[in-house]
Parts: sequence; C-alpha cells; structure tokens
Amino acid sequence: MITLTSSDGQTFDVDEVVAVEMQTIKHMMEDGCAESGIPVPNVTGKILAKVLDFCKKHVETVKAEELKAWNADFIKVDQVTLYDLIMASNYLDCKKLLDLTCQTVADMIKGKSPEDIREIFNIENDFTPEEEEKIRKANQWAFE
Amino acid sequence: MAGWSQLPKDLLLLIAQRLNTHFDLLSLRSVCSSWHAFIPYSLHPLPSRFPILPTNGTSWGLYLSRRRILHLRLPESHCQSTTSSWLIKVEEDVPDMAHLVNPLSTFQFRHFPPNFPKNFAFSRFRVSELGQEYVLQYMNHRPSGEADEGSLHKGKVTFSCTSNGDDFVMLTIHVSGKLAMFRHGNKKLTLIDDMSCDDLIFFNGEFYAVDKTGRTVVVAIGSPPVLSLVADSVSGGNKKSLVESNGELLMVDTYFDQVIHRIMERAVRFKVFKLDQIRRVWVEIENLGDQILFLGEKSAFSAVASAFCGCAGNCIYYTNSFFFPCGQEDDAYTGIGIFNLENGNMGPLSSFPDYAKVIWPPPAWVYTDNIRGV
Repeated sequence: MITLTSSDGQTFDVDEVVAVEMQTIKHMMEDGCAESGIPVPNVTGKILAKVLDFCKKHVETVKAEELKAWNADFIKVDQVTLYDLIMASNYLDCKKLLDLTCQTVADMIKGKSPEDIREIFNIENDFTPEEEEKIRKANQWAFE
Repeated sequence: MAGWSQLPKDLLLLIAQRLNTHFDLLSLRSVCSSWHAFIPYSLHPLPSRFPILPTNGTSWGLYLSRRRILHLRLPESHCQSTTSSWLIKVEEDVPDMAHLVNPLSTFQFRHFPPNFPKNFAFSRFRVSELGQEYVLQYMNHRPSGEADEGSLHKGKVTFSCTSNGDDFVMLTIHVSGKLAMFRHGNKKLTLIDDMSCDDLIFFNGEFYAVDKTGRTVVVAIGSPPVLSLVADSVSGGNKKSLVESNGELLMVDTYFDQVIHRIMERAVRFKVFKLDQIRRVWVEIENLGDQILFLGEKSAFSAVASAFCGCAGNCIYYTNSFFFPCGQEDDAYTGIGIFNLENGNMGPLSSFPDYAKVIWPPPAWVYTDNIRGV
C-alpha cells in the first residue's frame, strides 16, 4: 500500500498495482522515496480521487467493451474538471488517462468555429483588432 | 481567466494531432493568442495537387487533385431554431485561392450570386469535412493553365499516403474496368487482373473494391497486391457503390432501367446493404435512420440528417446522367436526384427544395458580414 497526499492535504491509500499505473509515482517508488508517503502537490484531492478511480478500474477490468463504456461515462465532466484531469494525468504520467482526456477535447472541438470553441472552454478572445484581421485573412480563400 | 488558454504547448499539440481536418486546425489556431503561437499552420502539410508522375523537364505531368467536401454552418451561438447548412466541394488551386465544385459532380460553379463575398473566411463558420475526392489530371503547362482529365481512368480514385507525403499508394479503376494500382516510385500503373471493378473506397485504413455482382475484396498493397474476400455477391441491380456511413461500410446497389434509352441509363431503384464481416455477406438494410448518403461521380460520403438540413434522413443523393437535359449545364442541380428509401419516391433535386437548398444557392448567412471577429 502506498499513501498519496494531495495539494489540499487529503490522503489516499492506494494498492501498489494501481499506483504504478502512474509513471511518476512508479519512479518514486522505485527510487525508494515512498516509505513515508508520496506528496502530490500539483493535484487537488477531488481530482486525485478521480485519477485513482480511473487507474483502479483499468487495473481491475479486462474486457475492452466494458472499459470503453466506463471511460465514456467517466469523462462526462465539466470543462474545468476536464482541464484539471489533463494536467493531472500529464503530471502523474498516466498515459491512458491522458489519451482519453485529449481525445475527448479533440472530439469537442471537431467541426466547431473558433467562437464556439471559446464558449465551450470559457476562453477569452485576447487578440488585438490587428491580430484578428491578420488571422481572418489567413483563414480565408478567394473563390475564382 | 486562467485555464485552457494556459494549456502547455505539448498538451495542446497532443490535442491538435487528434484533429483530422485542416479546418479544425485553423479553428484551433484562431481561438486565442497562446494557442495561435503554439500550433503550427499545418500538421499535415500536403499540397492539394500531388504529383504522381514527375515532370522531369517535360511539358506536362500527371497530378492528383484533392478536393474537400465541406459542411458549413453558422457557429452554434448564432443558430436559430432551423438548421441551415451549405454543402460545398472546394479545390484549392494555389494557396488561398480555390474554386467551388458541385459536391456530387465535376461541374464547377462559375457564376456567383452578386453579393457573394470575394474573400471567404472559414473561421466564421463551423466547418466539418465530410469527405475527400481525388481526381487524376494531366496538367499542361500552357499559359492558359488548362487541365485535361487523364484518360487512364474512369470512376473513383482512392489514395493513401504517409503524413509527410513521402510514400503513397493510389488505387483507381482503369478504362478496362480492372483495378489499377500506382505506388510511389513506380513508373506506370500496375493492373490487377483478378477482378472487374465497379467501385473503390479507402475505409478504416484499407482499400476495398467491389465488382458489379457485389463481391467485395480488401486489396492488400504489395508486390503483387493480394485480394481477400470480405463479402460474397448479392443478386439484383446493375451498379454497386461503396460508402461509409456512421463508421460502417455500406454498399448501395443501383437498378437501372435501360428500356428507356440505351445510352443514358436511368436509375429507378436503390438497395442499401451493410457489411457483416463475420459471416462475409452483405445484409440488406431497409432504413438508414438519420443518415443521408451521397453518391457522387467521383466520391461518396454521408451526413447526419438532423445536423445537415433539418429534414428527414433515410435518403440518397445520387448522380444520374439521365438528368442532363441539353443546354442546361449551367444549372447547379443538373444531374442530381434524390431517392427516398422509405417510400421509394425519387426525382431530380429541383423537385425536393429542402434538399436542394443545401447545395445552391448559398444561404443568406454566408453573405452577411455582421458576425463579429475572427
């Protein structure tokens, strides 16, 4: 068993076989730093709980169909949580979760206009009017 | 607002790599300044004119032209209750200059309505790429820049290449009806004798070919190429077409009525089949549900009806030379018909205004420039 501590002080007891799904944790275990617990300063308790849920499910489940359905349900989160999950899976180096989150974002973007994308992800349009004009010109074609 | 605009470059690129189309990438770059800085102009910098046979100092060459079939809509925030779309096929001649082709035929739109914007900014819209079409053309380097269609092929060209274009395979139907293959480094087409081909498609990373009986094979590229059976023949119609719909491979069987006219065949009925890969048979499907199929001259694709035109799915847009009355080549609807699977009704596109208005004229929102910003 390994103890992980989130940025806001929550502790999680995790089976070793689940912990090694996160390469960052795996390396720290191999380097012998894990005896007194591993701090995870970049990830809040709420998000770490979700990441551990994911890792546990992926260790326990063999059937690809079941995992696919579970993944689809798991990733139905708001865009703030989705952002936190991408950052956490990158920091903890959990490739499967990183793949899932990136693919989900890509699917949300496909076929959308820049304006739509800003609305979905709550992003501010920070281009100057000159930059906007330049970009509009870059995105346009002349039809002959 | 910290958050997504602060996404580190390498993570943003992981997302960008999962976007399949040129337009999605353009949209992504136009969201905010950090994303604009992080994303290269094109992750797959393939030109839309791809040389097949090198020119080597001769005055002509054989090129593959890529055309994209695009579904345009207003951004979601601007949409009112009715879904209004525009379906176009564009061929990029030189960077940033394009011409519009009828989505189902090779008819090029030359006359634009009077207020049509000279410069068309794609980032104003939601752009989905429904498919790509490849056409073989001889390019004569005459000052007028005319292009003649290669006489080597009829029907579809399918094409697959590595992301940087240094290796490719092209499959087409030769005038003899046989499958023809051309690989990077070859000097000429390789004819595959084993079948007489009605249609081709590149689906799920593989080339599929069907003959006029419906017998379908996968063509494994190699020397020599190997054909493996994926479905047996079906009885019935005269011409088979392959199309992808909702992630599955479908076959459409067209029945022609040749009593009317020996030269021009008139389509009278269509049957649609779905591939059962395990039993290796085509299974007829009675209802396409929300899907609309498009059988063009050189390409086939599909769309979801509710997102597309707001009218019912379960129908097919098709091309038929029977619809080419003399002296009407300038009509955008010429040669296109609609077939309704539910009741078997069919006719020229002009008889189905809801389905016709998606093609031409361009919807009003294409013209107005009051959509803010990029």
